[in-house]
Amino acid sequence: MARFTRRHVVTSGCIVLAVAVSLVGAATIRDGVALSVALVIAIAGTATFSARGMRANHPTLVRVVLSAVAIDCALVSTFFFSATTNFNLAIGAAMSIVLLGLSFLTGASGQISLGSSAFMGIGALIMAMWANHHASTPIVVTLLIAVAGGALAGLLLGLPATRLRGPYLAGMTLAFAVAFTGIVNTFSSWTGGDAGLQLPTSATAPHWLVALFSVSTSPFVTNTMWITDITIVVTGVAFFFMANLFASRTGRAMRLLRDNDVAAELVGISLSRTRVIAFIVSSAYAALGGALWTLINNSVSPPSYSFALSVTILSLVVIGGIGTIPGALIGGIIYAYSANVISWITTQTGLNPQGNFASQLNGIIFGGLLIVTMLFAPMGIAGAVRHYWLRRRAGVVTE
Amino acid sequence: MDPFLTSRAVSDILGGITNGMIYGLVALSLVLIWRSTGILNFAQGAMPMFATYIGMVAFSHVFSYWPCVAVSVFVGFAIGGGTERLLVRHLYGKPELNPIVVMVGFLIVLEGAAAALWSTQPRGFINPFSPIDFQLGGKPVALSAFSLYEIITALVVMTTVAVLFRYTKLGLQLRASALAPEVSRLLGVRVNRMLTLGWVLSMGVGTITTILVASNFFTGLTPQVMDGVFAFGFIAAAVGGLESPVGAIISGVCIGVILQFVGDFLNSNYIILVALGILIVSLMVRPNGLFTKSTARRV
Repeated sequence: MARFTRRHVVTSGCIVLAVAVSLVGAATIRDGVALSVALVIAIAGTATFSARGMRANHPTLVRVVLSAVAIDCALVSTFFFSATTNFNLAIGAAMSIVLLGLSFLTGASGQISLGSSAFMGIGALIMAMWANHHASTPIVVTLLIAVAGGALAGLLLGLPATRLRGPYLAGMTLAFAVAFTGIVNTFSSWTGGDAGLQLPTSATAPHWLVALFSVSTSPFVTNTMWITDITIVVTGVAFFFMANLFASRTGRAMRLLRDNDVAAELVGISLSRTRVIAFIVSSAYAALGGALWTLINNSVSPPSYSFALSVTILSLVVIGGIGTIPGALIGGIIYAYSANVISWITTQTGLNPQGNFASQLNGIIFGGLLIVTMLFAPMGIAGAVRHYWLRRRAGVVTE
Repeated sequence: MDPFLTSRAVSDILGGITNGMIYGLVALSLVLIWRSTGILNFAQGAMPMFATYIGMVAFSHVFSYWPCVAVSVFVGFAIGGGTERLLVRHLYGKPELNPIVVMVGFLIVLEGAAAALWSTQPRGFINPFSPIDFQLGGKPVALSAFSLYEIITALVVMTTVAVLFRYTKLGLQLRASALAPEVSRLLGVRVNRMLTLGWVLSMGVGTITTILVASNFFTGLTPQVMDGVFAFGFIAAAVGGLESPVGAIISGVCIGVILQFVGDFLNSNYIILVALGILIVSLMVRPNGLFTKSTARRV
């Protein structure tokens, strides 16, 4: 095994590149070091466990190890990141859960939803409502209740959705996204209307953890860090389950359904049942993401779960790569840093930050990227990279 | 005086018909594009909105209504044709997802661009019609000069489209190239031109609708003025069946009247909920719309 193969060259190249990029790109030296350590572990772990034999013989084991490695290095890096970076990381991680849900719905079962923002909003509101009435419930249980609420809403909307073809379904979910604010205002005694709800208490890091790492008078483990860690663990678990679902019997049935529904019915797959399952899973994931946002922000503001958010979610899924797991992660990272990038563009081009143009830049850029990606690389970043690797492996020389 | 005309129910029906005509027009423009190119245009609200802004700005110094309307409609034609030629043409024969995603992206870009160029402040579209209700025996009837103008314009547009499709050679070519593009091409119809024309026509209808909405004294023109109207128009088109222009108009008017009653007797928050309920129930009963003849899907 001492042979120095191309895989080794690529892996070490990636590590060097990752260290360089994180040292140059991070805001502080501490961030940069943390990021490069995390990336080195991640790349090394991925390279080891993506060896062909391992993947073929023990797929679930590889997925467990990969999720564990990913969660672990993300957790380690939160100890070094600044509070702002941690906050962005948590927001992006929660968003990637939502993206994964939509990616699964569209990529695996061929349905399209423009209602993700409403399902997120449902999860976010249930989280806040439950916490306001039963403050002593552990966070994990509250998250699960929010997920159950999202799944129920997904079932209600998914039942008519099973009979609809693409454009009708997209229009129906669009109407749901537009109706969400109306729904919230109709039940404003529970939901707080447009003003939204506050969590009664913010999530605080447990005392033993703070005590464990407290070196000097200032506590090392902050609440932001604790919330980020919760989000990362939840995200990792969500990704692990989805990876298994993609590969499972249900996942394969969904892909067949997407590619040829008549063939799927002929081999005994129930069309409506499979589609409803896909819709329920997707809305449960969206609700989980929304509930985590409530946890991170310590409050929920229903107007922010508007149709525009649905479009942002759709753009991120398309840009990352529909129906791929790395695509959802890429989308989440893009979302976490989009605000920074856009403000950077604003300062670089000398636009007035309060002006009309700067405030619309987000929508224009995401919409434009959506069109360009769909026209020129319909499988997004992850799809394009995978296509390139497959061509390389097949020995096709690309000029 | 007859108290019947000023009663609550009749007022709701009249107001509902006025709104419903608008929904019917949006639904009609969606159906035109769907029938000619098989695409559900999610930017059907935003594209005419942009055209209306351009027409308005072009004539913002003149302060006269009709030149603005004319310019807007012509810009609407141009945007429709240009979009079909430059953007939509690449989407034919692609999976269902692609056109939906691209048109949603286009919607967001147009709304962002309009807000960036002209801000989100509502702009009044000063027009010669009074928004004050007619009086009958000291009580208002739910009709004003402006709503009569809306209804009559809508009827004229609908009749024009119907006559064009039913009684002209051009309409025959449009229908033929939608139904059987290969055969039409063999018979000498320029199918590509017909596809473009379908978008141009639809955008003309859309722009006139947007002008009517923006001329309303109480709304004015904002970048997102068509969002809600588009949602109701889509619901009307889906309930009536995306294949059926007549169904689109009828269900548009019916939905307008029903929603007016809901808003008056219950609460305005319930309007969108009831609309969503109508959509879900009708799609569960007839997934292809109430006015479409059932057709077997080709595999």
